[in-house]
Amino acid sequence: MFTNSRRDVAFPLIGAVTLFALLFGGGLMYQTILGNGSAQRLVTTMLVDAIIVIGIQIYVGNTGILSFGHIGFGAIAGYVFAVFAISPAEKIKRIPMAPFGLTDVEVPPAVAIAIAVVITVLFAVVVGIGLARSGAQSGSVAATVITLALLFVTHEVAKSWPELTGGNRGGISFAIGASLQGRWPIVAALIGALVIARLYGQSRSGRLAVAAREDNLAARAMGVNPLVQQMVALLLSVAVVSVGSALRVWQIGSILPDRFFFAYGMLTLVMLIVGGRNSVTGAVLGVAVMTAARELARRLGQDGFEVFGIGLDGAPLDWIFRENLNSVVLGVAMVAFMIWRPNGILEDWEFDQWLYRRVGRRTETKPGRLPALDVIPDAQFSASGISVSFGGFQALSDAGITAESGEVVGIIGPNGAGKTTFVNVITGMVKPSGGQFSIDGDQLTGRPSFELSRRGLVRTFQNLRLFGALTVRENVETAALVAQEHRGHRTLRDVESLIAEAGLWDHRDRRARELDYGNSRRLELARAAAMAPSFLLLDEPTSGMSDSESIAMIEQVRHMAATVGAGVIVIDHDLGFITGISDRIYVFDQGSVIASGTPTEVQANPRVQAAYLGSAAAR
Amino acid sequence: MLEVAGLTTKYGAISALRDASLTVSDGEIVGLIGPNGAGKTTLLGSIAGLLPIDSGVITFDGEDITSAAPDKILRAGLALVPEHRRIFVDMTVEENLKVGGVTLSRTDRQELLTEMAELFPVLRDKWDTAAGYLSGGEAQQLAIARALMSNPRAIMMDEPSLGLAPILVDLVFDLIATLKSNGRTVLVVEQNATRMLKAADRAYVLRSGAVVASGTATELLERSDLFDSFAGG
Amino acid sequence: MEGLLQNVIDGLGRGSIYALLALGVAVVFGIMHMLNFAHGELITIPGYLTYWAFNNGWNWFTVIPLIVVSAVLSSLLIERIAFSRVRGATDFTMLLTSFGVHFIVSAGFLLYVSASVKPIPRPGWFANTLAMGSLNIEIFDLVVIGVTAVVLAGTTWLLQRTMFGLALRAAASDFDTARLMGIKSDSVIRGAFALSGFLAGIAGIFWIMREGQVTPTAGINPMLQGVLAVLIGGLGSLRGAVLGGLVLGLAEVLLRSWLPLSIQNLTTGFVFVLIALLFIFRPGGLLSVPQVERV
Repeated sequence: MFTNSRRDVAFPLIGAVTLFALLFGGGLMYQTILGNGSAQRLVTTMLVDAIIVIGIQIYVGNTGILSFGHIGFGAIAGYVFAVFAISPAEKIKRIPMAPFGLTDVEVPPAVAIAIAVVITVLFAVVVGIGLARSGAQSGSVAATVITLALLFVTHEVAKSWPELTGGNRGGISFAIGASLQGRWPIVAALIGALVIARLYGQSRSGRLAVAAREDNLAARAMGVNPLVQQMVALLLSVAVVSVGSALRVWQIGSILPDRFFFAYGMLTLVMLIVGGRNSVTGAVLGVAVMTAARELARRLGQDGFEVFGIGLDGAPLDWIFRENLNSVVLGVAMVAFMIWRPNGILEDWEFDQWLYRRVGRRTETKPGRLPALDVIPDAQFSASGISVSFGGFQALSDAGITAESGEVVGIIGPNGAGKTTFVNVITGMVKPSGGQFSIDGDQLTGRPSFELSRRGLVRTFQNLRLFGALTVRENVETAALVAQEHRGHRTLRDVESLIAEAGLWDHRDRRARELDYGNSRRLELARAAAMAPSFLLLDEPTSGMSDSESIAMIEQVRHMAATVGAGVIVIDHDLGFITGISDRIYVFDQGSVIASGTPTEVQANPRVQAAYLGSAAAR
Repeated sequence: MLEVAGLTTKYGAISALRDASLTVSDGEIVGLIGPNGAGKTTLLGSIAGLLPIDSGVITFDGEDITSAAPDKILRAGLALVPEHRRIFVDMTVEENLKVGGVTLSRTDRQELLTEMAELFPVLRDKWDTAAGYLSGGEAQQLAIARALMSNPRAIMMDEPSLGLAPILVDLVFDLIATLKSNGRTVLVVEQNATRMLKAADRAYVLRSGAVVASGTATELLERSDLFDSFAGG
Repeated sequence: MEGLLQNVIDGLGRGSIYALLALGVAVVFGIMHMLNFAHGELITIPGYLTYWAFNNGWNWFTVIPLIVVSAVLSSLLIERIAFSRVRGATDFTMLLTSFGVHFIVSAGFLLYVSASVKPIPRPGWFANTLAMGSLNIEIFDLVVIGVTAVVLAGTTWLLQRTMFGLALRAAASDFDTARLMGIKSDSVIRGAFALSGFLAGIAGIFWIMREGQVTPTAGINPMLQGVLAVLIGGLGSLRGAVLGGLVLGLAEVLLRSWLPLSIQNLTTGFVFVLIALLFIFRPGGLLSVPQVERV
């Protein structure tokens, strides 16, 4: 679950506690300075909002999917809590005809919160399945719209089911048996939310979700099933939001449909966005900043500039500082941040990870070179009859290759010959119209990419697909996390050794997007090797490299493959590179294999020369 | 007519073009050849105004078009037939051609439509067919005809023979020759280097973003190390 | 049987408005790849202008062009002020921007006008019905269906037969290649927003008539119907958007007529259950356009 217990458990716990102390401490200070009841209520509201925003961050931050629906889940939790926690005496007044005999039910608030969480999470399971189905097909835009619809539905149902919810007029207001005197439930829930959010972010599921966020396709190529991780994130986040929403209802003492609708949805989203949605620190900062900003706007709206002791008055200022100014401020903040700083103030800076890098890291010594594997496990890859047509265009006709562990097979051919399409087929990204492929006789045709890479076919991309925001180390760790689960029968090399092997030791904690081109390519190679593949499929690994870099790459690929015992299938146009590295070569042209054999044979083949330079057919 | 001087483009850490320069004179056919990933498409895309340029100057007929928008470059008389054709697959052949002539007046456009129907009988037969149903060769003809609809004085083509059977490749090179005889200037990026050199007046060889050789087509054809410089041997 | 026919006409009446809204959303989506969550504001803003107009002695003859023109202008203005600055940004950013704009407008009206409901008088013929045999058909539904049919026909003509329409479709198909043809980015984007505004304006006329009032949050419902209809029909398909709108309207009316009286007020909930089922079995929508993944 956790790769490194200092970085992934100890420091996040420190972070959670620190963030709590800062938020709570700041609130206490404000409350003490002002010393009135309204300040106290403001701080309590801020703490409850923080729980909910952190809950939303668990999903939105880690998956990158925008959700409007969490407040809809909050509505469900809020109503369930209210109905179970309010005394029958109170309920008789408001909802005497509640279904399922709920009017007569009363449970302690803690139990009511638990019931609320369970019921809401069950709803989330159903919604999550819907999100997964449509998201896979139409992308995250569809998922976002579904969450928006959820928000709308819960609001409509709340308004239209007065027997249960008290409807739109009056809702349910109450005093629960043990009222929220001390803030201890809120404090406990907030600490809990922070701990869950930080630990999830560093956990295996959280890391895989973030990888999928950075590059969905590359994540699948590394054996990650984004839908599973997104479901986990959803359920955890809904659980936290449920707790926060129940507490919100408890604190306010009543619930109305509009309390959990667009206005609150907007507020929580703005809080998340402003601080930086990709980190828990950002979420907390956003809550603090927006609470302060709104309070300021509210004061200015009420008291005008008087609030600063400056008696400024006048029509123009009146025009801006009015009631409900804080609503407009929200919309303006949202748009302004989207234009100028879409990733928020902190982008994805996480306090405890920064602290870990400064003081927590034990000194690392550079690992020694990895030896080649003594015994290379046998594996046989075979593809035959592969055909692909895109509309009217026949990209591949009856193509096929074989490869064995321990050898390097090269695929060359001019542009448009179908090489990349072939790799796309055998890594599950394009469905062939005919043909099949297998490893050791196991049929693999038609399987999704994440399954293929778990079975040992791991690829790199022509257009470089790294997890840009993650560090070099984290990129490789992602693959290692999957390999631990699915490739345990092979020898798994540790992350640091692979990084050193790829010549990236000095860059190990730099973000992948900051690397120069050569290093980026080497990182892709190391990441793929961390999957302990049976076959490494490299798609134009020297594209854009100089001659000397290409030559160095030959050695790198050979050695990397040897340390993990993988066979290699390389595609490239650079004949020099391919002949230097391959044991056997297949030549593709116009969608078919036109020649195969050893490098010498292929190079001397006149058909190959013609394919490259074009036929000299005179007219 | 077209002058490219010192074009340099980086994508993050990748140097796509390094100080690339070339000239194309009026009425010439110039070939741009080189291995995959050499930057040929980036070069054409930069000239056409689609891709950002870090440094360098591009002039067309004396006018500086280095940072001009694609529509301005087209109106100046320079058209591009993009790699993979990029025809509008949900629109008919006629509609594709019409879009090609969007900068023209209605009468001019109608005239050119008639011309294209004559010049490309294959397209005339599929006038109302959705472009997505065309074969590779037909699609390539449509892409070229579409570019011709703006009545350009110079036309750039990115890998027009890509994925085409030899007989269709002949057709494409025939078209290129016709364009020249109609007084147009042509700059062609081609993978089929030998074929290109047979059709061109002059050519440039691009490798890893830089021009590594240039000269008349005959000169280049005679160079024995051409295969090597391509295949990186 | 007559009940069914009546419901179908009623459903088509509602569905027509949803279809117009959906088409407006789909047109912008095709070019910008963004679902415009502020689309509903193209009804709210004309709604308030309508309220003001009626308070100043206007009548429906003069108000109708006011609604359409103000919808188009609002659409262009919003594009200029907000969306033009996030062109090319991630989907996430653009969605949030449109949501933010929605919020600014509705909060703005809340702030500077009032939270209270502003009534708008309905046209004289609004409640008229046409008796045909044992059926009582609402004239309003017939007018809506008729006008929508004309507008859709006109839009189809615009998209298929004019250079403007061709340019829009080309840009939606392949934006960069469209630029290579000489189509200006700004022009085609503004054109899309103008068309979207026009469609919203027509829908807005009938929406405002039917509601008989305007509030700061009047835009939420139309926006949601439009966006959902686009998804139901299939993201990326203009025909799908229209179909989705009609289906949504029919589902709403037919479902309500079939549900027992006691839970009729939960119709919206059941409609969403149906939509959810649709997405489970046909995730891409009714006329889904297969999205090819670029490797």
